[in-house]
Amino acid sequence: MRRRLSHLATHLTVALCALITVIPYLWLLSTSLKYKTEVFTPTPQWIPWPINLGNYAEVFDRAPFGLFLINTLIVVTGILAVQMVTVTLAAYVFARRQFRGADILFLLFLVQMMIPIHATFLPNFLTLRSLDLLNTRVAMMLPFFASGYGTFLLRQAFRQIPRDLEDAAVIDGCGGLRFLWHVLIPLAKPTLVAFGLISLVSHWNDYLWPLIVTDTPDVRTLTIGLGMFVQQESGADWTLLMAATVFVTAPLLVIFLVFQRKFIESFMFTGLKG
Amino acid sequence: MADSTAVVTPARLPAWAVALAATGRFRFRGGGAYLYLLPSLVFLAIFTYYPMGFSAYLSLFRWNVLTPDPVFVGVANYLSLWREPLLWLVLRNNLFYALGSIPTTMALALFLAVLVNQKLGAARSVYRVALFYPTMIPMVAAAMLWVWIFNPGIGLFNYYTGFLGMPRLEWLYDRHWALPAIIIMSIWKNFGYFMLIYLAALQGIPAELYEAASLEGAGAWARFRRITFPLLAPTSLFVFVVAIISSFQVFDQVFVMTQGGPADQTNVLVFYIYQHAFRFWDIGMGAALTTVFICLLLVLIAVVFRSVGRRVYYEAD
Repeated sequence: MRRRLSHLATHLTVALCALITVIPYLWLLSTSLKYKTEVFTPTPQWIPWPINLGNYAEVFDRAPFGLFLINTLIVVTGILAVQMVTVTLAAYVFARRQFRGADILFLLFLVQMMIPIHATFLPNFLTLRSLDLLNTRVAMMLPFFASGYGTFLLRQAFRQIPRDLEDAAVIDGCGGLRFLWHVLIPLAKPTLVAFGLISLVSHWNDYLWPLIVTDTPDVRTLTIGLGMFVQQESGADWTLLMAATVFVTAPLLVIFLVFQRKFIESFMFTGLKG
Repeated sequence: MADSTAVVTPARLPAWAVALAATGRFRFRGGGAYLYLLPSLVFLAIFTYYPMGFSAYLSLFRWNVLTPDPVFVGVANYLSLWREPLLWLVLRNNLFYALGSIPTTMALALFLAVLVNQKLGAARSVYRVALFYPTMIPMVAAAMLWVWIFNPGIGLFNYYTGFLGMPRLEWLYDRHWALPAIIIMSIWKNFGYFMLIYLAALQGIPAELYEAASLEGAGAWARFRRITFPLLAPTSLFVFVVAIISSFQVFDQVFVMTQGGPADQTNVLVFYIYQHAFRFWDIGMGAALTTVFICLLLVLIAVVFRSVGRRVYYEAD
């Protein structure tokens, strides 16, 4: 009986916390479906009635959110594609080869995790300005092409693959890059997927760097578009702002809900290894 | 004709080029390792290491709207920073943000991880999704949403805390409550990720330990205090380090919610650098601040690698 009760108490506590966490997003959805005048109520009206889908159409009329979405997709996939190459190559030699300076070089990779773009954005901005790359999609990707974090994760994964396998492969004439491509990468797939998801999520959410290197709507990403939209609509039209916010958050959230197990495993797993 | 020149050319190469080619080939065979690292190293060099030196160099110049051509001024920028009361306010705000958000986030993450790790059946995955989803939301969007929630007149926050007997506050417009509001929002955004990290670590603790403790008559609290908490120490250190480093990076929330205001009460280091560089166009001062920031981070890294890093590794092995 006591056990039953404590079980129930656990459920109630977690459910309450989960509810409190979800409330802000429900409120966001609710507000985005209201008419402008309906938000000014003394008590919160949770169910929008009548439902107004017009806010979403209006958001699209006022700012090119479709274009922002495409730009975001280009930037995050571009970063990921290059990272996959740089990270696997580097992780491979750190895991498998002995060479002079390996420790120091690995340290150089690790330090990158702790010197984020938030610390170096000013000199990097000046570098891109002198390369004449400002206001391009490439500018938003360049600083993230190397990833100390990804290299670290993948090195751990490669290390767990038995050495005998490589010896055998080399004897069969499958060394170096071919071994990496045909053996190591397939075996380390869970780690690659995990790193890929984390990279996608974190760059989808980037704000400071794209804010600095872009100044026209045609290259801007969703997050920057939302920030600009807020300034542009400073009249505090909450229904419109919330509809824009839903549009910016929805793509990733929908994917997350569909593949929630994979996402949660990935984020758990990388924390553990990190 | 073209063919024959192509064949002859290598022999005509100057001696240094032949030597270079030879060493290159030697490296290829012996330690082609460097070649594999090259793509990463190029980007690390340009976008992580060069900026450190570059900003240190620029910080020695006066370079702003009034002085469009850089003038060497030595450490003058640092001296004026030192005398600038706003810098100290900014650093205090960063400290306040770290103190306000990190312990609460960690406690909440640990508490919920322990609860979610119980046998909760099918509901468990629903709980995990509900508690973790804020991680998936861009900080800018989350900040926007919370500006609405913190609205003094018709915001949800004032409405529901009113039930708990709390006074109505102006939140983002109040110089004492703006930073706490940002902290509340950041806790909501971040605790789910740390909860997952704790959950992963909890699953690594053998169940026999708990069974044995239960047989000895240890209650839930004793089991937590004697088994869970000590065995999670390496994870807690990891979470703590990650949380500290990311607390220095706080920017998006401030940019959207307060723009550093009111009266600079929410101005933080990254926003302060941003202001100098992109609002006042004072590159020299911005570079000096960047250098200060990087030095702060380097000191932090040294501490992490020396003490915490080692301990985490030893305990984890």
